[in-house]
Amino acid sequence: MKHREGVPDIDYLYPGHLACPGCGAAIAMKFALKALGPKTMVVLPASCWGIIAGAYPQTGLKVPVMHTAFATAGAAASGLRAALDIKGDTETTVLAWAGDGGTFDIGFQSLSGAAERGEDFIYACYDNEAYMNTGVQRSSSTPYGMRTATTPGTSWKRTRKKNIVEALAAHRIPYAATASIAYPEDMIRKFVRARSVKGGVRFIHILASCPAGWRIPSESAVKVTRLAVLSNLFPLYEVKDGLHYTLNMEGNRPVRPYIRMQGRFSHLTEEEIERIQEMVDSDWALLKEKANCKQISIK
Amino acid sequence: MYEQAMSKIPLLISRSKISTEGHKTGEWRFVTPSFKEKTAPCRATCPVGEDIPRIGMIASRGLIKEAWETIMAENPFPCVCGHVCFHPCETACNRAFLDESVAVHHLERMIGEAGISEGFSASVLKTPSNGKRVAVVGSGPSGLSAAYFLSMLGFSCDLFESKDQPGGILRWGIPAYRLPEWVLQNEILRVEHMGVRIHCNTRITPERIGEIMDNYSALFMGYGHGRSVTMGIPGEEMAADGLDFLLEIRRGNLPAMDGIAAVIGGGNAAIDVSRSLIRLGAKPLIIYRRSLADMPAFSKEVNAALDEGVQIMETAVPVRIEEEDGNLMLRLQKMRAIGKDPEGRSRVVPDDSAPINLCVQHVFTAIGAQSDGILNPKEEGNDRAIPLSHSMFTLSKIPVIYGGDLTNAKRSVSDAIASGKQAAMAIDTYFHHGFDAIRERLNVSRVGDRDPLSMAIYLETDRASRSPKVISYSDINTDYFSNTPRHIPQTIPMLRGELSFMVKEPVFSLKEGVGEASRCFHCGICNDCDNCRIFCPDISVSCVENGRRINLDYCKGCGICVAECPSGVMELEEEQP
Ligand SMILES: Cc1cc2nc3c(=O)[nH]c(=O)nc-3n(C[C@H](O)[C@H](O)[C@H](O)COP(=O)(O)OP(=O)(O)OC[C@H]3O[C@@H](n4cnc5c(N)ncnc54)[C@H](O)[C@@H]3O)c2cc1C
Ligand SMILES: Cc1ncc(C[n+]2csc(CCOP(=O)(O)OP(=O)(O)O)c2C)c(N)n1
Ligand code: SF4
Ligand SMILES: [Mg+2]
Repeated sequence: MKHREGVPDIDYLYPGHLACPGCGAAIAMKFALKALGPKTMVVLPASCWGIIAGAYPQTGLKVPVMHTAFATAGAAASGLRAALDIKGDTETTVLAWAGDGGTFDIGFQSLSGAAERGEDFIYACYDNEAYMNTGVQRSSSTPYGMRTATTPGTSWKRTRKKNIVEALAAHRIPYAATASIAYPEDMIRKFVRARSVKGGVRFIHILASCPAGWRIPSESAVKVTRLAVLSNLFPLYEVKDGLHYTLNMEGNRPVRPYIRMQGRFSHLTEEEIERIQEMVDSDWALLKEKANCKQISIK
Repeated sequence: MYEQAMSKIPLLISRSKISTEGHKTGEWRFVTPSFKEKTAPCRATCPVGEDIPRIGMIASRGLIKEAWETIMAENPFPCVCGHVCFHPCETACNRAFLDESVAVHHLERMIGEAGISEGFSASVLKTPSNGKRVAVVGSGPSGLSAAYFLSMLGFSCDLFESKDQPGGILRWGIPAYRLPEWVLQNEILRVEHMGVRIHCNTRITPERIGEIMDNYSALFMGYGHGRSVTMGIPGEEMAADGLDFLLEIRRGNLPAMDGIAAVIGGGNAAIDVSRSLIRLGAKPLIIYRRSLADMPAFSKEVNAALDEGVQIMETAVPVRIEEEDGNLMLRLQKMRAIGKDPEGRSRVVPDDSAPINLCVQHVFTAIGAQSDGILNPKEEGNDRAIPLSHSMFTLSKIPVIYGGDLTNAKRSVSDAIASGKQAAMAIDTYFHHGFDAIRERLNVSRVGDRDPLSMAIYLETDRASRSPKVISYSDINTDYFSNTPRHIPQTIPMLRGELSFMVKEPVFSLKEGVGEASRCFHCGICNDCDNCRIFCPDISVSCVENGRRINLDYCKGCGICVAECPSGVMELEEEQP
């Protein structure tokens, strides 16, 4: 049987882990570890992944995992890195792996601090656009239009999703990128790249669907993240040194099918979808401008 | 001091020592995925049941020999069919819903030509001799196919042909500009290499049948429709027979012609006669009793004829031919439609207008042909007869099977090949399992729930477990296929005067062929894309020797593998309580 080029064969996840059926976050970790390999240590703050990885005395990963407090992924990863360095182990990659709540909100200060200090680890945010583990509360990553437990009924979220890659790029970290679980080769390439880049925190923002919170059938978990990319709602791109943008692909589909396939947006009217389309179009135009802008250079 | 302090505090970091494999998360599941290859619409429509999706898949990897062998399992004439089959597969192709159907016939022709130029051998498909001899009458596509498949199944075959060369209509009907002689010669040679003895110049008469019955275990009748139907009008003897004309041309007699040549008829023969006439310099005018849309000729052929300048007069029938000053005066009655016949063609009757006279230089008839029955299957009065989809199995002293144009509702090359294959299976079944097993064995060898028979399924080398469900467009995950127009080998632009008896359409280059094969959705068959394994969140899909396996201990039944399968191979079934 043929294996696919660009997708390493070995998995570092054990079956029997505790993700819901069709969990995008589980697929995201699967790809990340395929790329990073056995010489990896994972730092996990409170999140769904804190549960997925198994309750003591079990582990769902074949590499070491350090569970840590919700707000502390950036700080704990800094400490783990320092400990490895003291031991003379420069080979092992530290991967901080946090949800959107743990990244955009409560963990933002520790991540920002680590980024500013130029710590040497990969920080991956698997973004399911709400606090899923505690029952779908809104985070600053929750998109405009979504209903959550804390933005219910007619109070659906009216504010925009925070642009976390821009916030990290503003720290002038050496590498920031977005990834989607629908594009395994692209995501794996980015993790391989992040492992080799040195000189600061490497940040990867992954759109990882959550069938339970997004109200989609579990089999659509990959398809939905593909549509997010194909509609430019979640563009795939890379930022070098916080300045140099590379767009990986350009979508050509409207956002409507993406929105309409998800129960979390089922209350939106056609006008509101049009409003989302406008936001996507203007964000995409802005991003393209950044990618086209070759003059930026730091002195 | 530090160490002292630390020694007093027990450092209790809990460390997991066992994996989550103890959780059999398969218990959560209420739907179960499975791999089940299905039937592609093209294959279900192909009279010979070629495994087109697999041919497409193999060819897309550039494995031309393997693709050729996959065709040869079902059809001994890839190159002939690449040229002349009316390819209903392309009409059924799911890809047409995305952009355009896959150019299967171009692909088949390319693979067929490679088979000839590379000298691929089909002998690997042969099974050891079973010591039985079968006589075959007629070396058209049905007879050759019967002999090929019978040899494959271990029978020894003698094929008797009344003409001086084998091939039937392929040899003396279809003109060289559609089917070059070298293609036919090479593909027939390959049938001979399977061990078939072809005896030309050997006309089988009713008297010889008895002799055959004494010396052979079975007899296949594929002697076709060789005798032209006549119109029964005054002056008919002044008209030339279209099939004779085509035969003369294939013999190499290419007389220069001029003037208007009326061609009576609306089938493939009428088209071929007209297109040949235009190549010889005449101005052909087809006269057909019904309307253009009712013509039994393949529409691609009709369009080619119109493009080349052939004129067609609809709804007219000749009532008399007279000679006048060295020309022929054709008296025509115009017709009008009154409803439809059972086959959906218009029923026509003379309209009220007076007959019209048409002055022409030649008249050719091509209104159809019939058999000059050696043994007529229907008159036999044999209750041990089984009418099958493409043949008629009868049991007298020995089994006698009729096929090809003699029995087929649709008279085409691929239907004739299907007859030969069906006859071979029926004969083989008869000798191994008896008369009563024939229907059932043929029934399970069908592609999907349709008529086409598959030798691979009959021999059970094909995944006999393939589901009869025919894949529709909605079963395909089109996210994995982008809009790509069909590859068309560029037709060399030719001026009208330059029309010749050479094939006009060039063949695919290897690159074009591989490109075209890559457009195929491979409906219902696994193309090894690995999506099911790659996307499984639960590490529950693994590669095994000939496919992939789902570990139901852990599969939670999310269904991602099913949704992400590009070709509709996987399916979800609800768990039974
Ligand atoms: C002009 C023309 C063009 C066509 N074009 C196409 C096309 O493009 N595509 C397509 O799919 N179909 C086409 N067809 C139809 C197709 O050719 C036939 O359906 C097919 O050839 C039938 O095959 P067969 O084996 O039954 O008979 P045939 O091809 O007719 O072969 C019968 C053979 O038996 C021999 N024979 C007859 N009597 C005896 C006897 N007593 N003893 C020994 N041998 C005998 C004959 O000489 C002949 O060789 C065309 C038909 C015609 C007439
Ligand atoms: C300081 C603190 N506050 C609250 C919690 C409860 N808690 C555990 S996981 C979680 C949600 C995490 O959301 P996110 O980071 O987006 O990850 P997800 O569960 O969505 O994957 C919360 C609020 C906690 N563990 N610690
Ligand atoms: S709640 Fe959502 S993110 Fe959490 S394990 Fe289930 S599917 Fe995955
Ligand atoms: Mg979250």
